[in-house]
Amino acid sequence: MTQQTWDEVGGLLPHDEFRTASDAIVTNIEQVIEGKTATVRLALAVLLAEGHLLIEDVPGVGKTKLAKALARSIDCSVRRIQFTPDLLPSDVTGVSVYNQETHDFEFRPGAVFANLVVGDEINRASPKTQSALLECMEERQVTVDGVTYQLQTPFMVIATQNPIEMEGTYPLPEAQRDRFTARIAMGYPGPQAELAMLDGHGATDPLQELRAVSDAETVRRLIATVRQVHVADAVKQYAVDLVTATRESPELRLGASPRSTLQLLRTARAVAALEGRDYVLPDDLQALAVPVLAHRVIPTADAQLARRTTDAIIAELVHRLALPQERQRPTYDTPRSAAGTIRPPFEPRRP
Amino acid sequence: MIASRNLGFVAAAATLLAAAPLSSIFERWTWLIQAAIAVAVVAGAAALARLLRAPLWAQALSMLAGLSLALTWLFPAGGELVGILPTPTTLAHFGELLQGSVQDMRSYGVKVPDTTPLLFITVLGVGGVAVLVDVLAVGLRRPALAGLPMLAIYSVPVAVYVDSVPALPFVVGACGYLWLLVTDNVERVRRFGRRFTGEGRDVDVWEASPLAAAGRRLAVVGVALAVALPLAVPGMTGGLLNQFTSAGDGAGNGRFGQGGGPGRIDLFAALSGQLNQSEVAEMVKVTTTEASPFYLRFGVADELRPDGFRVRPPTGTRVDRELPGITDRRGAGQQRYRATVEVSRNLDMPLVPVYTDPVEVEGLNANWLYDRNLGVVFSNRDNSRGKRYTVEYVRSTFTPAALRRAPSLPAEHPIAVQQTRRPSVQQVDVLVSRLLEGKRNDYDKVRAIYDYFSRENGFSYSLSTKGGTSGQEIVDFLDNKVGFCQQYAAAMAWLVRAAGIPARVAFGFTNGASTGNGSYVMTNRNLHAWTEVYFDGMGWVPFDPTPAYAVQGAARSAWAPDSDAPDPEPSGTAAPGATPEEPGATAGPQQPDAVDRDVDETFDPATGAPIQRAPTWPWWTAGAVLALAALLCVPALRRMALRRRRHLPVAPAVPTGSAEAAGPPATGMVVLGADRDRARADAHAAWDELLDTLVDYRVRVDRTETPRATAERLVRESLTEDGTSATAVRLLGRAEERARYARNPLTGEPLRPALASVRDALAARADRRTRLLAVALPPSVLLRWRSAVTERSTRLVTTTGRLRLRMARWSPRRLLARRA
Repeated sequence: MTQQTWDEVGGLLPHDEFRTASDAIVTNIEQVIEGKTATVRLALAVLLAEGHLLIEDVPGVGKTKLAKALARSIDCSVRRIQFTPDLLPSDVTGVSVYNQETHDFEFRPGAVFANLVVGDEINRASPKTQSALLECMEERQVTVDGVTYQLQTPFMVIATQNPIEMEGTYPLPEAQRDRFTARIAMGYPGPQAELAMLDGHGATDPLQELRAVSDAETVRRLIATVRQVHVADAVKQYAVDLVTATRESPELRLGASPRSTLQLLRTARAVAALEGRDYVLPDDLQALAVPVLAHRVIPTADAQLARRTTDAIIAELVHRLALPQERQRPTYDTPRSAAGTIRPPFEPRRP
Repeated sequence: MIASRNLGFVAAAATLLAAAPLSSIFERWTWLIQAAIAVAVVAGAAALARLLRAPLWAQALSMLAGLSLALTWLFPAGGELVGILPTPTTLAHFGELLQGSVQDMRSYGVKVPDTTPLLFITVLGVGGVAVLVDVLAVGLRRPALAGLPMLAIYSVPVAVYVDSVPALPFVVGACGYLWLLVTDNVERVRRFGRRFTGEGRDVDVWEASPLAAAGRRLAVVGVALAVALPLAVPGMTGGLLNQFTSAGDGAGNGRFGQGGGPGRIDLFAALSGQLNQSEVAEMVKVTTTEASPFYLRFGVADELRPDGFRVRPPTGTRVDRELPGITDRRGAGQQRYRATVEVSRNLDMPLVPVYTDPVEVEGLNANWLYDRNLGVVFSNRDNSRGKRYTVEYVRSTFTPAALRRAPSLPAEHPIAVQQTRRPSVQQVDVLVSRLLEGKRNDYDKVRAIYDYFSRENGFSYSLSTKGGTSGQEIVDFLDNKVGFCQQYAAAMAWLVRAAGIPARVAFGFTNGASTGNGSYVMTNRNLHAWTEVYFDGMGWVPFDPTPAYAVQGAARSAWAPDSDAPDPEPSGTAAPGATPEEPGATAGPQQPDAVDRDVDETFDPATGAPIQRAPTWPWWTAGAVLALAALLCVPALRRMALRRRRHLPVAPAVPTGSAEAAGPPATGMVVLGADRDRARADAHAAWDELLDTLVDYRVRVDRTETPRATAERLVRESLTEDGTSATAVRLLGRAEERARYARNPLTGEPLRPALASVRDALAARADRRTRLLAVALPPSVLLRWRSAVTERSTRLVTTTGRLRLRMARWSPRRLLARRA
């Protein structure tokens, strides 16, 4: 259940160096994606939280560009997969081919054998192909023909998908969605940013001029630093409360998984570190609840009929949930008596 | 159909049960048989109408018809068709019976004999109630409302008995009512088919229904209200009756007013009780045209039983009509006077005080009757509280010579037979025969007895003796020679009776304190008892054997001079009210060496008026106001104490100073554990104080907000124009946030000045009322108390609920489930 993490992370970074390194990446990406600082930082936070990113938005707002910019900013191996309906699992994971010279089967690694994997239009591939990502995203390994191959460190899948166009797409299954740490939407740029984009992108593609400002080793050290961020008990309690609230909400058919709790806290650590703090605040969890939780839950039919998006439902939960008071327990929170629950269902009986 | 027939039967039975209190009015049980017949006929008519599926109005009509048939059969005028069908003569007869019943109600006291008019009105009433109960309970299915007509029956004995009503019949009536309610509800549940619990979940048969719990709670609240409300409403308690009963410390063996009616009062017990009261209460104010009136009198005890003098139930004629004239006072000087009597609210009796021999009374209604033989004005249903009336009366004055001439009463005369009856006590008889030696006429005999109660013979006055007028107690008194008016009057009456002369004990007021112009004020201290002796042709002649020096406002007459006075010559009518200008003379001869020390200190010997005590109510009021103010101060004080306690643990300034200003991790800082804890506590205290301040100033506090968000919202909404306070509130938010969530809390920050600046900024923005309330009645403290109370009660309810669930495991009603 718990997510595998890399063991071979680097040493800790001092505070100042952490800030310099992370700011450099953000600034670099912002050369390409104007006016989306929050989104960019979130994407970076997901990378530092050892998670995977799902970018979901309408075509043409820069999903792929963000993915590529993040990949280029870091000097590491980058592979891109264009998901098409006829893509095969072996194209993703790799395949063993017969080598006539050695008279043996030889493993040809697939696209996932890279530090950053950009999966474009992931929902256009068939479920069979989508499922090929399950093992590698969660366990960071690939098993082909009974042989398990470990993936590189860091490893991050950045997938994009288009939520509007439904024809010829296969919606991601829940298991697949649950493996993405966060789902972010790009959103349209502001008028100023769009003007700047026209100026900057008119002649050349800025992506071509983008230079790597970091490398895999730095990222590993960044990740190690993020792991050291302090999480108070109250904050952990709050994370659990949040996730529990999604499971108990009457508007949700499926709540968030324990994996999501883990990823929520991990991302919160990364966000806190990016903001220069060495401790996580409930504010971080509140800000991350929608990107981290909203794509995992399934609303009830009623909520769907009422046109309630999962984003709205999660946001409302966050607004309603009280902060845990570590110093005094809420009074109404008495343990439920077992007698009420074990009673048999309603059954009419003569007096 | 069967069910409603059953319900109709229960309704009829409940009506009969509810009529049980009437048994305390009637002497015999004839009424019950007749009422049962009427109710049975009514119920039968109703059942018949329902059998024919008649509408409700037809049912009611048939019941009324049945009632009239039953009445005709029970009270025939003669000449009915077939014996039960009423004719116009029957109706006329009913009208006469109704009028007669009104007359009977006035003339008879409880318990009443079986007169036809009273029986008629009873049966009519019970039958009418039966009709109403049937219509309400069976026709309209509102059995709770049926309690009202049933209550109407109960109100009859309550109205008849002035003070207390026997409780047992009411219990019987209430049982009938409950039976009706239960029957209806069982019927309803049976029709519904299943127990409804209100919770939605199924409840086992053996479990108590949650609705029943709600009902119990309602019942408890209702009973508490019913008990508490009369205590709170002024005027419903504290009447004289209560004082009489509470103060009669075993002085009599009959409780005052027990059973009600003017004939049942133990006036002796009431008298000694009132005289021993420590408080002086004004009872009667009287203004008379007579220059020196004798005592105002309201009661007579003339029945001498082994246990002492007792009051007989009086009978009489209406006082608002012509009173019987004075005929039997030959040889007595007579003069008419007029007196206005105002009874205060302290005197609550079925008797009113009047002067002897009233000939005309104005201002009392037809409820008041005059008993000519006893000379008392009484009522069977009214009381004297607050009455004001005018009495025209005849004052008879007697001369010793005329009394000496009066012949002895023949032994077979009814008065002589009745009023000389006494238990034989040998000691008394010996004493009387000794006193009467050589006395030939009645007056001399009486004077000999009267004079015997003098100081020469060792008699003295004391209120502290034990009361009682039984034979043994009289003997005790004659031995000890210490007592008060009760014993003097009773002893003299006893001795006079022993001498074969009719005598009785009269009760009333002495002349009290004169306020000039023929006005007198009587208090409970002036209650008095004296002896009246019957002389043939003269009527009842008063003698007051109690030592005059001890009785405030005592009066002496020519025929009964003060036996203690040094001057043997009768002082005539030189009695208290003779010279209203000199009220000091009213108390009779005041002797400094008076043996008696028990005369109450509140009597001022100089004026004879009760000393005005300083009123206590201002003190009470001031005390109550102070207590209220103190109570109102408690929340403010609590708030101040809280603030002080939070400000107390201020962390000492950390020498490292402003190591962390904007929140970067304190990498190079070494903080001791104790300091860190203290800084954390400081931040928490400051934050709590800030939240309380917000509550006080009616700024929203959101439990879902983080400290940072709260601070930002405050800056945005409440503190916009103030730069320093915005910085301060951000500082507080950051301190709290780091204290809660970070490894190292903020240290050395000026939290107290920050708090002060935030509070000032909030106060500046709040309106005056909010500011005042924040200081006087801080909402934060009130809110905390309220939530604490809620929490307690919730916990209590949870605990009891769990306990009940556990107890239900052993509930015997569980066995019912198996049967079902």
